[in-house]
Amino acid sequence: MAGAALKICIVYFLLNYIDEICLSWQCLTRPIVIAPLAGLVLGDFHTGIIMGAELEAIFMGISAIGGVIAADATLSSVIAVAYTILTGATIADGVALAFPIGTVLTTVNNLSMSLIANPMAAYWENLAVKDLKKFAIQNYLFAAAMKLIPTAVVFVAVAFGVDGLNRLLGALPPFVMTGLGAASGMMIAVGFAILTSMIWDKEVGIFFFVGYVMVAYLHMDTLAIAIIGAAIAITMFFSHKRVIDLKKELTSGVVTAQENTNDEEDFF
Amino acid sequence: MANNNLTAQEKATLNKMFWLSHLVFISFSMVKMEANGFTMTMTPALEELYKDDPEEMKEAVLRHQSFFNTHAVPFSFVAGLAYAMERQHKEGKVDGTTIENIKAALMGPTAGMFDSLFFNAIRVIAAGISIGLCRNGNFLGVILFILLYGVSQSVVKYFLLNAGYTLGTSFIDQVFNSGLIQVLTKCASVIGLMMVGAMTAQMVNVPLNLVVNTTGAEGGEVVVGDILNQVFPGLLGVCALFLMVYLIKKGWTPTKLILLIFAFALVGAAIGLF
Repeated sequence: MAGAALKICIVYFLLNYIDEICLSWQCLTRPIVIAPLAGLVLGDFHTGIIMGAELEAIFMGISAIGGVIAADATLSSVIAVAYTILTGATIADGVALAFPIGTVLTTVNNLSMSLIANPMAAYWENLAVKDLKKFAIQNYLFAAAMKLIPTAVVFVAVAFGVDGLNRLLGALPPFVMTGLGAASGMMIAVGFAILTSMIWDKEVGIFFFVGYVMVAYLHMDTLAIAIIGAAIAITMFFSHKRVIDLKKELTSGVVTAQENTNDEEDFF
Repeated sequence: MANNNLTAQEKATLNKMFWLSHLVFISFSMVKMEANGFTMTMTPALEELYKDDPEEMKEAVLRHQSFFNTHAVPFSFVAGLAYAMERQHKEGKVDGTTIENIKAALMGPTAGMFDSLFFNAIRVIAAGISIGLCRNGNFLGVILFILLYGVSQSVVKYFLLNAGYTLGTSFIDQVFNSGLIQVLTKCASVIGLMMVGAMTAQMVNVPLNLVVNTTGAEGGEVVVGDILNQVFPGLLGVCALFLMVYLIKKGWTPTKLILLIFAFALVGAAIGLF
């Protein structure tokens, strides 16, 4: 089992790294691509292809909007393929088996996001300002390390079962997970606070609240808000333009008037 | 595209940016989301423009290290536009805040549009066709899926990057020549702030779970979070945000803020606040 688990983990890690880090397609981690490749490394390409079709059909409707990656489709696929090929179980069995691993994986991903990725934000900022080459290299390595964490979970779960992992996570006091969850929601506020402090403008700062109210009270879509914002901005632009044009006309008007008087004085 | 008018230098930079613009989710975090990917994508542009000006370089890097989040495909459009604006910033036509504002304004709407287009439409169509082929054990289905849903993203990315650059250049040149760039800066602030406000309402969340029983009697519990949300939805989130804006203006570093939130959230959870 450990050998097969290792093979599965290599496929899982490579496709995750190549797709989600190097390409950002969120395409190679879909069941229809990863299942055939998992089948290939386990020696049954054909079953992998057919299972890829079935699994894609199951997971197609489960959406992940706005950059949240459907890790469970990927995880369930590799595990279902491994179990079917190794033990002759059905797809449904494989998916059912992947479910507890998916839950553990979500917890571990949340932990590594809160404890490692979020606190790193300030480090990246300092590094980027100092040395962009180092920044790039460390980013590639860091992203690989971050992908190794879920891969290790998958390996342990497949090779030794999820019970031990679950017990380990269960030993965490519940307030730690609640606290980290609460911290996550507020972490985004740090990003927004930095952004807001950079773009804040006393004269038009109130529009922050206009946008806020449009979502909080009116539950509007960002595209709709952007169109209203553009309409306000365009109206503002043209009214300012008119003021500037008028000023120009006035000043040039004054100049010609003065010239005229000069001419008259010369004349007299 | 209108690629013909670009200089060799611009083309070379855009090419490098195209490859780097695939690193959207590298070192993703909840604090700044895709900021690292954006900084890496902008690196060739910044190195070209500010090679001899470490002070400007530093400011520009910080600009592109701020919070950024959109779908992976329009990511490259914003990067192309940012490259055009950085060039004009160097020529003194656009100020840094306008660049920030335009980036902020584009995040939400582009994410929404391209999520629907790629995730909800093209992906489903590609999967539909490929599932049919794969069911019969035909490997071509997998290749087809990668072409339709994966490679297509890169192709669109390429065009959007160039479109962002040419559009940004011509638009800002026009506005600059008409002498209205100050006005544009104000207008960009309006949209930028509005979108940041909208995204704050969508994403920032302080999950208060505090119940106070003032009367001591059964059923006398008051859910504090609900009351605050009735006063103003997400009141705590907005307060937290502006407290942090204030602290940043006071000179606090992001590290300090992140550690503060950590400690606050853990202590809060331990005493049952969250």
